[in-house]
Parts: sequence; C-alpha cells; structure tokens
Amino acid sequence: MLLLLETPAGYALFTVKNKKLLKADADSIFENFKSVTDASRQVGLTAFHKFEDTKAAMEACTELTESSVGKSLKKFLKKNVVDAGLADSLTVLDKQLGININKKLGIEVSVMSDNLREIMRGVRLHLTELIEGLDEQEVRTMSLGLAHTLSRFKLKFSPDKVDTMIIQAVGLLDDLDKELNNFAMRLREWYGWHFPEMGKIITENLAYAKVVRLMGLKTKAKETDFSEVNVPEEIAAEVKQAAETSMGTEITDEDLGNIKTLSERVIELTEYRASLSEYLKLRMTAIAPNLTFMVGELVGARLISQAGSLMSLAKHPSSTVQILGAEKALFRALKTKKQTPKYGLIYHASLVGQSAPALKGKISRVLAAKLSLCCRVDALGDQVEPTLGEEFKEYVERRLATLEEGGMKSLSKGISRPTAGKHQKKPSVRGSGAAHSAEDDVVEAPKKRKAKAVEAEAEEEAEEAPAPKKKKKKKVVEEEAE
Amino acid sequence: MGKGGKAKGKGKDGKGGKGKGKVKGGGKGKKGGGKGGGKKGGGKKGGAAKVVIEPHRHEGAFVSKGKDDSLVTRNLVPGESVYGEKRLVAESADGEDKIEYRVWNPFRSKLGAGIVGGIGACPVKPGAKVLYLGGASGTTVSHVSDMVGPEGVVYAVEFSHRSGRDLTNMAKRRPNVVPIVEDARQPQRYRMLIGMVDCIFSDVAQPDQARIVTHNASFFLKNNGWVMISIKANCVDSTAAPEAVFASEIDKLRKDGVKPKEQLTLEPYHRDHALVVGIYRASKKKKEE
Repeated sequence: MLLLLETPAGYALFTVKNKKLLKADADSIFENFKSVTDASRQVGLTAFHKFEDTKAAMEACTELTESSVGKSLKKFLKKNVVDAGLADSLTVLDKQLGININKKLGIEVSVMSDNLREIMRGVRLHLTELIEGLDEQEVRTMSLGLAHTLSRFKLKFSPDKVDTMIIQAVGLLDDLDKELNNFAMRLREWYGWHFPEMGKIITENLAYAKVVRLMGLKTKAKETDFSEVNVPEEIAAEVKQAAETSMGTEITDEDLGNIKTLSERVIELTEYRASLSEYLKLRMTAIAPNLTFMVGELVGARLISQAGSLMSLAKHPSSTVQILGAEKALFRALKTKKQTPKYGLIYHASLVGQSAPALKGKISRVLAAKLSLCCRVDALGDQVEPTLGEEFKEYVERRLATLEEGGMKSLSKGISRPTAGKHQKKPSVRGSGAAHSAEDDVVEAPKKRKAKAVEAEAEEEAEEAPAPKKKKKKKVVEEEAE
Repeated sequence: MGKGGKAKGKGKDGKGGKGKGKVKGGGKGKKGGGKGGGKKGGGKKGGAAKVVIEPHRHEGAFVSKGKDDSLVTRNLVPGESVYGEKRLVAESADGEDKIEYRVWNPFRSKLGAGIVGGIGACPVKPGAKVLYLGGASGTTVSHVSDMVGPEGVVYAVEFSHRSGRDLTNMAKRRPNVVPIVEDARQPQRYRMLIGMVDCIFSDVAQPDQARIVTHNASFFLKNNGWVMISIKANCVDSTAAPEAVFASEIDKLRKDGVKPKEQLTLEPYHRDHALVVGIYRASKKKKEE
C-alpha cells in the first residue's frame, strides 16, 4: 500500500509497513500514530521529490488544485512507482486526482476507506518528521510563500472580471441618477430665488440647466436665443414673458457664477450618464445577449450584480431569479409565515411592467423561468445573437396576451396547443430539443446547446406536464359549451 | 491616579469573579506577572487618557483599562492599523520598551465578541496553529495573528476574490498569516498548504457550515484539537427559532466527532449568533479517568 502526500516542499511517497492497519478498527488507528517513533514503525518513506524553487512549487500546486497530473508529479510517480516495479495500489487524498493518475499512468488507485483516511491523518500529523531532510521551519516558509503566490495568481486571473465591470457600471449608474436628481433639485431651488417662474415652465432638468447656463440673469432673457439649447419656440416665448413680470429677487454676479457652475456640473453629469449607459449596453449585449434582449440591459445588469456574477446567476433556480432583489421581503414573509413576494428586480422589466396588476405575479414567474434559461446559455454557451431570447420573449408576450384576453380558460388553450404538438410530434428529448431551436444549433457548439435544450425542455415539461390531459378535458368543456 | 487605580481594582474583581469557575489556574499564573510588573501609567495618546494594559485571562488577549475597558491584542506589526482601528501604546513590564496594542471591536468580530462575552476556553493562544475558515477581509484574522504571535500560524481561507484581495494584502505584513483564496467546501484544493492544526475557527455563515467544518477537521485538525464555530441562525434556517437552529447544528457537529464544550450567545454584539466551542475526536481515555 502506497500513500501519496503533498507538502509545500514537495511530493512524498510512503509505504504502509504495518499491514494490520488496513484491517484494524478505524477508531483505533490513531493510537498507532501517537508519536513520531510510533508512526515511523507504521509507515516508511519510499521517495521524496523536493520542488526546485517556488516557481516549480507553484506550478505543481496549481495542477494539484485542479486535480490534474502535472509534469513533475507524473515524472515522480513514473520513476518511483512504475519504474520501480511497485505493484501496490496508491492512495491519494483527492479522489479526482486519483482517477486522473489511474488514467495517465495506469497505477492502481485504491478507494478511500475509513482506515486509509485515518492512516493519512496519522502520516500528516508527523509529516515533516517522517520526511528526512525536511525542516519544520523550511516547510513553513515554503507554505507561506506558496500561499501568497497562489492567491496572487488567483486574484490576478479572476474569471469574474468582466462581470465586475458590469456590476460597477450599473452601481455607478444608480449613484449618478441619485446625485443628478439631487443636483438638479438644488439648482432649481437656488436659481428659483432669482427666477421662480421658470421652474414651472421648463420641467426637464437638463433643459433647465442649459437655459440657466445660457441665459444667466433673467434680465437677459429678452436677448437670449433659446434655440441654441433646443428649447421650443413657444416655451422660449413663455420664458421671455415670465422674465419680465418675475417676482424673483435680484442676485449678484458672484451668486450667478456659482449657480452657473452647478448647472454646468448637471449638464456634464447628464452627458456622462448617457455615455455610461451606452457602455453598459454594449457590455451587456456582448456578455449576456439573451438576458439583455429579454429584460433590457439595466434590469439584466442589476440581476447580475445581485447574484454576484453571471455564472452564479446562471446557477440560481428560476424561482430565485424571480424574487432576486426582494430578499428582505422574502425573509420577512418566511419568518412571519405570510405570503412571499412575487417579484424582485424583475418587476422593472418592461414585460412585467406592461401587464395588468393582477397578472404581474404570473408573468414575472413565466419571465423568470425563461430568464434563467437565457442566463445559462449566456454563461455557458458562446452565443452572440440573442436567438433564444427572441424566441422566449415572443413566448412570454404571447402568454401575456392570452392571459389578458380571457383569463384562465383561454390560457390553457393558447399555450398548451403548440407545446402539446411539440410533444406529440417528437416524443424523444433530443428531437424536441432540435425543434426547440434548430437555428441555434448552427450558431453554437452543438454539445452545449443540446444540454441547454434538454434543460429547457425539462423546465417546460415541468411547467406544463399535464398539458395533454388538460387538452382532453378542455375539449370536453368546449363541446359542452358548444 | 488613585481614582484610576480603584476603578481598575474593581474591574478586575468583577472580571475575576466571572471567570473564576472556569480557568482559574491559567489566569492565575499570568496575572501574577501582570501584577508584579504593573504596566501602569503607560504612554499617552493624545495627551489625555492613560493607558493601562492588563493581560486578559485568555492568553494572547489583553484588556486596556480606562474610562471604558476594551479588548486589545498586542500588535505584531507596530505602527500599523489593519482596518483603521485605534492603537494604544503602553510601556512594557520593565518600563523600557513601548508596546503597541490594537483595539479589538467586538461588534466587528465574532471571536472578539466571544472573548468579551466571557468564553470559558479559548484555543487561540500564543504558538497555536489556527485554521480560520471565512477569513473575509482579515480584520479578525489580524487579531488572531496577534494572539498566536510569531510562533503560531493562521491559515486564513476565504473564497471571495474581493475579500481575498484585502486578506492577502493584510497578510503581506504578517508572516504568520497564510492567505488561501479557495472554497472552504473543498479542503483537498488547499491540502498541500496546510499541515495539521490545533484549532479550527469558522465564520462562514453558510447553511452547511457544520459539514464544512467537520470536513476540514477530518483533513487538518489534530485529535483533541479545538473547533470554534460562530453560527448565524438566520443563515442556517431563517424561519426556525435561533435556539432550535443552534441545537440542531450542535447535534450535527456531535455526529461528526466534535464534542461540544460550550455554547455562548454573542448578544448584544451580534444578533442571533452563537459561538460554539468543542473538541474534535476527544480521546476516550481522558473521559474514563
């Protein structure tokens, strides 16, 4: 029986000397490893490969965390097990690594049993003492250096970095909106002392700021050409008129200078907000085309930001996607045993917004089901065109239309027919997957797509499992009605 | 000065009374040293408050006596705050060197709250090897690193990249902190970095925390090693009563070989939290004796 152990300093291969251990009671094995001398009676070091430098150690450890057999490990095992002619089975702590070793080198890897686990614990307890020429202090410095390099490496190549850009952008967008509104209100309030009537006439914040910047004092209203800032003629005339009869107080040039600076800031921020929004839109369509197509870039980005990353959003079930952003309400409801919320961030999607209040909950559920499928395609597939999104959006719209038309009755009529037809025509999952999105398969690697399609199918089936039955019943009802 | 001394005496008595039943012996030896040395009238900060530092009954932690008592740890890296906490400077026992301490806010740390709350045994002590699951940005980790001192090691595991960045940054200045940016659910991914440890502290706030901890313990914790878990009731089951959640979590731990020794509520510092301390695979012989 061979044991493979990894230390920050290198690989070690041990042989179990005391074969009785394998059959002993798992709880008593610990007794045999109480001290170093005890332990050295049970196991013996067969080979030890020291990493040459930190770089080699880091490479080896990265391979180990991925459970793959790296070059140095392969060499080590080949030299000491295969070439040495040892036919014993090998024990490794990582199951996946064991499988990979078996595949690559053909070494028999034993299944981790309670006894083996205990032996491994025992060896690990005295690892540094059992390996000759290994200093405790040395291992410590090695592990510290290694941990730092590994974590630095990991942080440097973080896979979520594209998502982070989206999350930050949408966060900034929200902050900007808030601040922009604050500044605009302050500008209105401030300038309102000088020219209160204008606040009523020009309601849009950006136009207001532009007019303030252009006109300055209200006495200049007459000679100002408002067409420069795209103010319609009738409004310009109104402003000019109001300026003559205004009841506002006089302000000095110094006051006006400050007000103008504020108006400039408002204009700048509005422009920046527009460009940021454009950036977000581009990023979202690149990263999550289907999701963006379904709910728009803002809601999509908020969903990603709430979940942490696109990948974790894809891993959420659709019921979670539905109430993402309403955690507070959800947990309050769970605690008080009241009704849980029907929608979270998804409420702001246009599909939910346009539906009647009574149908909002239903539509948000339908939308969430489709959204979670879209996220999975976006996260795991490599699709660029929102083909799936288009299809699903149409589906949700159709469903909304039927719901609004006649409530429950026509709901099953409108929905179940196409789905049931699909089921009847192509009973096999694969066939229906192809029918589901034959055009998608062309765009994408078929393997991934198929898995998605199966998932999609499963979801639909779950949702409308009793569809054929319903149809029959439905027919009866219809006949009766006729 | 006199007034200060009086207040100090009172505070001490109160503290002693609380802790007497549990770890008298350990406290005694340490306190003796403290009394002899005095450590009084230390450095001044801002020219106002006098800093009097006394050792806490748990080794590695200290108490600063003043208008309000506060928990402090001896700063391993003098002159630096980790997360903007206050630093106090006191003179050492022989009155020559200046020793810097960092204030430990129990509102920001589960372990800190546990120590302030009067936990009976604290396995985080000088020289200990600690596996810290859920290291976050490294605020508590830095205090644990102060407590274990240069002889001990803290292996801090944190999954989030954002927090891991701060943790790694903090660990740069502290050679006894080993930062690991990995998922604590998969200890085999960082098995080569960690040897056997004396104690596992866990603050991961996950529904399957008990499983995570015992899984890690089976890899890294010595027999008779300590397990400290901070349980957030809401994270395990938000509908059940906190007490029921704690009881069921302790049950899970017991099934996996942890012998629970103590459960401590972290009120008023953290709502619906409990700190559970147990021993992993306690040897049976001791029980028989």
